[in-house]
Amino acid sequence: MRLTKPLAVAAAGALAMSLAACGGGGNGGNGNGGNQPGGTPTYQGAGTAGSAKDATAKGPAQPIPNATSGGTVTVLYPSPDTGLATLDPSPGWSVTGNAIEQDLVARSLTTFRQDPKTGDMSLVPDLATDLGQHNADFTEWSFTLKSGIKYENGKPVTPQDIKFGIERSFDLGSLVGPGSQYSAAYFLDGDKYKGPYDKATKGQDYKGVTIKGNKITIKMSKPFPDMDYWGSFEAMGPIPQGNVSNPPKYGLHPWATGPYKVQSFQPNQQLVLVKNNQWDPNTDPARHQYVDKWIMKFDQDPEKTDQIALSGNQASQTTITTSLLAQNYADAKQKLGSRLVQGSQPCTYFNYPDYKKISNIKIRQALGYAYPYQDAWSAGGEIVGVTRVPGNAILPPGMVGRKTYGPIDGQQVTYDPQKAKQLLKEAGVKPGTYKVSWVYKKDDPQGVNAMQQISKAYKASGFVPNPIGVTGSLYDTWTNPDDKVNKSLNLRGVAWCSDWPSGLTFIPPLFQSNQLYNTGYFSEKSVDNRIKQIPTLPLNQQPAAWSDLDKTIETKFYPAINTGYSNVMMTYGSKIGNFNNDPNYGAPNYRDIYVKK
Amino acid sequence: MSHQLEQLEPALVDDERPVSEDREIAGKSPLQIAFGRLLRDKIAMASLTVVILFALIAIFAPLLAHLFNVNLDTQSTCEVTDCNAASYSYGLPLKGPPLHGFDPEHPFGIAPQNGVDNLAFWLYGARNSLFIATMATIISTFIGLTLGLIAGYAGGIVDRMISFLTDLFLAVPYILAALSLAPILDERFAIHPALQSKVTFWSLIGILSVLGWMYLARLMRGEVLSLREREYVEAARLIGMPTRRILVREILPNLVAPIVVAISLGLPAYVTAEAGLAFLGIGIVGRPSWGQTIDAATNWWQRYPLYLWEPVIGIVLLVVALNLLGDSIRDALDPKTRR
Repeated sequence: MRLTKPLAVAAAGALAMSLAACGGGGNGGNGNGGNQPGGTPTYQGAGTAGSAKDATAKGPAQPIPNATSGGTVTVLYPSPDTGLATLDPSPGWSVTGNAIEQDLVARSLTTFRQDPKTGDMSLVPDLATDLGQHNADFTEWSFTLKSGIKYENGKPVTPQDIKFGIERSFDLGSLVGPGSQYSAAYFLDGDKYKGPYDKATKGQDYKGVTIKGNKITIKMSKPFPDMDYWGSFEAMGPIPQGNVSNPPKYGLHPWATGPYKVQSFQPNQQLVLVKNNQWDPNTDPARHQYVDKWIMKFDQDPEKTDQIALSGNQASQTTITTSLLAQNYADAKQKLGSRLVQGSQPCTYFNYPDYKKISNIKIRQALGYAYPYQDAWSAGGEIVGVTRVPGNAILPPGMVGRKTYGPIDGQQVTYDPQKAKQLLKEAGVKPGTYKVSWVYKKDDPQGVNAMQQISKAYKASGFVPNPIGVTGSLYDTWTNPDDKVNKSLNLRGVAWCSDWPSGLTFIPPLFQSNQLYNTGYFSEKSVDNRIKQIPTLPLNQQPAAWSDLDKTIETKFYPAINTGYSNVMMTYGSKIGNFNNDPNYGAPNYRDIYVKK
Repeated sequence: MSHQLEQLEPALVDDERPVSEDREIAGKSPLQIAFGRLLRDKIAMASLTVVILFALIAIFAPLLAHLFNVNLDTQSTCEVTDCNAASYSYGLPLKGPPLHGFDPEHPFGIAPQNGVDNLAFWLYGARNSLFIATMATIISTFIGLTLGLIAGYAGGIVDRMISFLTDLFLAVPYILAALSLAPILDERFAIHPALQSKVTFWSLIGILSVLGWMYLARLMRGEVLSLREREYVEAARLIGMPTRRILVREILPNLVAPIVVAISLGLPAYVTAEAGLAFLGIGIVGRPSWGQTIDAATNWWQRYPLYLWEPVIGIVLLVVALNLLGDSIRDALDPKTRR
């Protein structure tokens, strides 16, 4: 899943490995980070973010100790997080949006539940009675819909509605989203079927899903062992059939199945959710309905949200903020103590050299040594070692079976201009002749700051920096093959977060040939073959196989420069109860929050 | 202005002695009278000093930067600012303000999080700010003057066309124009960063001048409308003076006063406009500007107030001085001002 926040800077680094270990080692729970006077932010480690499964979990969800009903919670999302542009479940594929939709509004086949003691996430059945039954080679999955599930208007949810939701996930038009990565890639006829709105397949019956009573059977075109995880996406939930769900209007007010429904929604500005009285807690093993009302405000001025969080006034007591400016970190640590939460997030930032233009591995490695990890982080507004920690493996902390390694000569890559120059020399490039072109956001002062740091470091490492300023999202440039700026680049980037803790959600979208977010155009036959092969392995061997492939890619080809793993920095008011980071996303776990009396 | 009244009245009272023969009754042009008034106006003189000071700073910015041994070079963030997340001075400079004393190497301190010298940035910011404002003033005055003269003097269909054009341009808000033009230029010149920097610089001047000439044009048109019916203009016309000569030699000299006033009040408006656009992120690119510093510094206000004060003081001082000077010039030139 792509980070919604634009990539102002990408950076990886070489702080003492203890910090990285801190980012990945904790097995969930609330460890204390740092021992500064005046209070310590709560660190919520990655743990094994949702690797556990509990197919027998039943509703209602276990009550939270001391939780009380009532109250209004305000969540402020500081810029550049513009939140949600649509509430339509089908295209939902962002950290901020998925957390809100899955936790509060839209139910799907499966979902995640947080262990109150360890903070670990585990996969549990949601609308389905279990986590799905599959055949031996994972090419056929079936889920049974619980009975008595209703939309917010009292209309019953039918298996046909779920089929319709699945059909919609194939859309490559206005609803394009995670389905392009999973439904289209693994489901039967995924290469031909384009959803109910596409001209070519409109009105066609999709043959991949069959319904018998309450049982929904999905046929795959190739083995898909992660179908139960894919079922946790809101795209794998019910959508009412007919004109009522036509995009884009449905995205303004989708029919809620979760504990909350939409009261008002202004895209990218504000979302207000109120209790959905048609939601039956007895069918839901993961969600609670303690809070009366949620007010979510997107794209807020970061300095303003920080001051609200720090003020401790009455309004701020029931307010959550989802990020913090670096300069207010020390202040917040002192004033908020454990109400400042450093949450892990399964995300990795990459600099992605163009594999065709920079075909010599030594030059790619030189680029790795030429990147000023700490300087670029700090100048770009990251809190070094806190919101951004050094990385090496492609898979971020929290992924099942993940192993760390040294990408070049068994060593962690750090900023080292001498080594970069040496590698350039070995590649037969005269220092001061090799041009590196990349884009930065010129309307973001911190993006400009980071660009200056990077330029300086590239120059010191023997490259000729050629930064190109653009406005708008960098992804608009990187993912548009016809963009003339994009064509002129030889260094791009991507920040990727796992959709669930399996290498399947990380390595194929970034390192398989011809993928949208493979911005370096990396293409190796051996890697492509292995990516196709791993999902067919026995389930228990897959995590290790992904991790080995991870190491092979980086040590053998070094196609992408790891510029760090990210953590989120959130704050919550003194009257917010049971606030926890959802390590699956790096967002508040809205399901279990209550307001103290 | 009351304070001038106080200064001048004693002088009038003092003037009891009879007009002596050494005080010749010399003919003075209205401009000479106004200039004399201006010289006696202390506020005007103080403002003028400030403005000249800023002009010198702008002209000699590179020299001054060299003199103070500061430059715009990027410093490695973690070498000059605190990169230790656990520290309370996170992001702030390791030397100099706000946490440590005066740093002679960087008299204005350095920017948090990126370490660029504040003095160098301020000096070059003043240079860019004044250059843009001056150019925009000259160009917009030229356009406004020309169109106003032509419209007022020619009348008829020409007048109507120019007046329509004026109204049309008045309808375009400059921030919107800048907002919509910026991405177009970005797109066009994105792969040539050096050219892009130049293009945005001149396009900003272009936007400010193209959207800044209308008030002067209207003013000029009105003035010319009344002037062209005067006897001396009619006389000039009758003896067969070419129109261009009538406009330049007969009418224009009578418009000097409103032009000077328009210039002196236009200049500060452009300074603030430039800073405002830079603050919004649609100003000049790749060159220092006070607005950029203000944009970056607002987030640091609580922890590093000096960082914000520097550009703010620069702008306020310059704009207030220019405005006061403009007011004084206006008062001095206005024969109706009571003194």
